[in-house]
Amino acid sequence: MIRSATRSTLTNKVNYRSMLAGNDPFSLGDFDLLETTTLASSASSVTFSGLGSYTDYKHLQIRMIARTDRSTNGDAFDMRINNDSGSNYTYHFLQGDGTSVSSSGTGSQNRILLLRIASNGDVANSFGGGVIDILDTLDTSKNTTVRALAGSSASFQQLALNSGLYTSTNAVNEINFFPSSGNNFVTGSRFSLYGIRG
Amino acid sequence: MATPTYTPLATTTLASSASSVTFSSIDQSYGDLVLVISGTTASATTPIMRFNSDSGSNYSWVRMDGDGSNDTSASGTYTGASFGRIGTAQSVIIAQIMDYSATDKHTTILSRGNLPNDRTRAMATRWANTSAITSAEVIADATTFDTGTTLSLYGIAK
Repeated sequence: MIRSATRSTLTNKVNYRSMLAGNDPFSLGDFDLLETTTLASSASSVTFSGLGSYTDYKHLQIRMIARTDRSTNGDAFDMRINNDSGSNYTYHFLQGDGTSVSSSGTGSQNRILLLRIASNGDVANSFGGGVIDILDTLDTSKNTTVRALAGSSASFQQLALNSGLYTSTNAVNEINFFPSSGNNFVTGSRFSLYGIRG
Repeated sequence: MATPTYTPLATTTLASSASSVTFSSIDQSYGDLVLVISGTTASATTPIMRFNSDSGSNYSWVRMDGDGSNDTSASGTYTGASFGRIGTAQSVIIAQIMDYSATDKHTTILSRGNLPNDRTRAMATRWANTSAITSAEVIADATTFDTGTTLSLYGIAK
């Protein structure tokens, strides 16, 4: 413990009453922005890689707003982990389209299907949004689970509560997003990655 | 280096009932806003937000509800951005206002409303305007927010 600095032999010294020594207070935070990708041109996919380095975080969240260049109304989007295109995913969703509510799900898929975003078939400037949570990303004792709320109220209207499972205990090092139609995310689509401490 | 975020911008706890609460001069340095409402209203309602004082029919919505017996979905347009559900029992609404400061896209709002004695709801809403949101008037819509109801606005960096 520093009890006194008054006997310092340094010249031009300044005695501080705080250990911040004149610096601004700082906080590492519990919910931190890690990376953002905002498309400057259309792209067939968006990838966050090197996620194994984020060892300070237990969970990840992706907040995104996107539109694709599909010519018909609306689009879905797919998510893969570690660029694994094997049949290692299960997904379910509960969706409402303005007329009815329905549920669907299936296993042994090559991606997690997520609903719903806008497309070039929708009114101009409309996008769809999503908030996607990926849990326990670095835990190698359990498979990875994903949940999301996503939707679009454009010409084609749909929103969904989505869940997904990646049947692998590998740590999540990479996350990949693709338009389900095989088209492109348009310019201005944004994907932001956040870390949540645990 | 990571950027700490999820920053509280403003919180109002009502000292008396009110038909609306306005968040003005909203900081433009964030990517998304999150509005959290915890409380009750004099009668069950779907509250709305009006952005930048726009009271035109420029807001479209789609929702799905489950009330314990039926699941339903509906859509429409309105004079404010409909979101969530609140009523006479303690309720919580969380609304995600995506890319509110962007000027190249319409604003999308994703919300969940939990009114335990009535229903649970999810909604997607769109404000058909590319302006950045500088103010948001949160309106109970044909009823009032009760005393003690808390409305909190957060900013999330992008």
